[in-house]
Amino acid sequence: MLAEFLSPLFNGLFSAMVVFLFATGLTLIFGILRILNFAHGGFFMLGAYLAFTLVRLIGGDMSIASYLLVSIAAGIAVGFCGLVVERLIFRRLQHVDEAYSLIATYALLLISEGAVKAIWGVSFHSATTPSALGSAVVVGDLVMPVFAIFIIALGVLCYAVLEWILQHTAVGKLMKSLASDPWMAGMLGINVPRFYAWIVVIGFFLAGLAGGLLLPNQTLSPNLASVFVVQAFGVLIVGGMGNIRGAFLASILLCVIDSYGSIVFSQVPGIFFYVAMAVMLLARPQGLIAGARL
Amino acid sequence: MTSSTNGSTINGSTWRRDALIAAVALAVLVSLPFVANKGIVFVAGTLALHVVFGLSWNLMFGQTGLVSFGHASFFAIGGYAFAWTAKMFPQLHPLLLFAGAGVLGALVALVVGMIALRRSVGVYFAILSLALSQIVYLLLSYTPSLGQEDGLTGIRRPLLSLGLTTIDLARGDNYYYFMIAMCTLLAIGLWWVVHGSMGRVFKSIQQDPERAAFLGINVQGYRLRSFAIASGTTAIAGALYGPWLQLLTPEIAHWTFSARPILYTLLGGVQSFWGPVVGALCFAVLEYGTRTLHGLSEIVVGCILLLIVLAFPGGLLGGLSRLGKRMAGKPAVAAKPELAR
Repeated sequence: MLAEFLSPLFNGLFSAMVVFLFATGLTLIFGILRILNFAHGGFFMLGAYLAFTLVRLIGGDMSIASYLLVSIAAGIAVGFCGLVVERLIFRRLQHVDEAYSLIATYALLLISEGAVKAIWGVSFHSATTPSALGSAVVVGDLVMPVFAIFIIALGVLCYAVLEWILQHTAVGKLMKSLASDPWMAGMLGINVPRFYAWIVVIGFFLAGLAGGLLLPNQTLSPNLASVFVVQAFGVLIVGGMGNIRGAFLASILLCVIDSYGSIVFSQVPGIFFYVAMAVMLLARPQGLIAGARL
Repeated sequence: MTSSTNGSTINGSTWRRDALIAAVALAVLVSLPFVANKGIVFVAGTLALHVVFGLSWNLMFGQTGLVSFGHASFFAIGGYAFAWTAKMFPQLHPLLLFAGAGVLGALVALVVGMIALRRSVGVYFAILSLALSQIVYLLLSYTPSLGQEDGLTGIRRPLLSLGLTTIDLARGDNYYYFMIAMCTLLAIGLWWVVHGSMGRVFKSIQQDPERAAFLGINVQGYRLRSFAIASGTTAIAGALYGPWLQLLTPEIAHWTFSARPILYTLLGGVQSFWGPVVGALCFAVLEYGTRTLHGLSEIVVGCILLLIVLAFPGGLLGGLSRLGKRMAGKPAVAAKPELAR
């Protein structure tokens, strides 16, 4: 009885944190640069493939530490890609209308998909969960995989760290000022282009990191790039135009609704996410947390 | 070059120029089966549908400033509606079914638009349309009578009875010519909407919705009209797609397909009527040229797209017209459509 009620909640929280981990970098870049990055999924996928290759190289069973290190390494590699992308593309599109950066990010999505196909081929791969995270916790008749608990914890931790940086550090205040008025920030002597470069690098790092962290949960194929992007866009907008707290709340709200909805209407799993998203957009078009940038 | 960007009245020179461009394009398309192989004819037929797809999207974006990220769902609604009804009611006239698919697309857009446009514009409407298109995609992927993820197969090219004579569209290149004729009619319809009196109202909304409202224009109502017309047109293009491919899968409702008309329009240029046509043509050429380079084709297409965006941030036609103006010594005016406001 308890499990019937709690198990969808648990599953919903798990998928919420998956979407949130995916969406953090996207939210950061959209919140500050106003670029809706279609390529985010592509670089997330790149991170997952890189982590997959590293896991293969190490071989054997992964410990939690090596799993985290591999993910961070994938994040750094993708972050470096971000630096190149910022230098070559985003910086040049700064003074062009936002709509055109859409083509650029879509082109990047194609390039990352092509790169993955050329390097790793089109066949499916999958990685095993580190054995330390492979078991499950059973409470009554509620079964909770340790990996899912781990991801939920990581999602919450990721949110807490970002929230702390944004609200309580000088860097965070700088980011907020830049998000609300880049021109004025520049006037006050902040090196805006360099700051933008850092944001893009961090955003891409987060994409790669998420790719590595969620690797045991995914089947690797070149389609992975477009799996989470739409959900992440939804979370981004329902949360309120690129604000981390809103994205966190929105991912929980939408995924938990979807999780319960899928039990009631099991013919079309996943549909309630979008139904809830549409209703939220109509009921509260300004987003869950209005007005706040980041 | 300037006539279609500033004034929207149908003046002689715009009409003559566009008719000339259309005639040349039609001549090429009609003669293609005689000179080119089947592969190229297939690409050209598909291109004609994509052109209508792109033109109708730009009716919303270029004319009333409405960004839809879910335009493919109407393509899919039309496609599935035609394929399903043609299978269930084979005695009905195919032209009736094509028209029915268009009406269905327009009606769905009306209902959705009446709710959605009341509350949201800009990026909110974009993401809302994305959510709705995902719902369509999931419904198509999980409905048993529509073939779920395998889609509908064996869609027949119908017999077209025209009173005096009956044309078997399954024979030879008949369906190709039928499609070209239909796409031409749809494109003329869109051209007429853009350049007629409704188009002028649309244009005023795109330029400044607030001022248009102040002048007594029902902004929401006209946006709704452009949404419904664009969706109905796309639904007919979708309906034509089923018998052309003889197969429909939910992939035509996927968001990556919704991105297509956006790319065509932005790549070709928003301000010109011909922008999406140029964009779609570029895409078709790129994809056909790189089709044998497995995996590398995405990289090549992506890189060329990037180069075009970086070189001509206002779209190809916008870039060319600016280049032309600079040569003539006039100051350049950049095209500036708005996505978020």
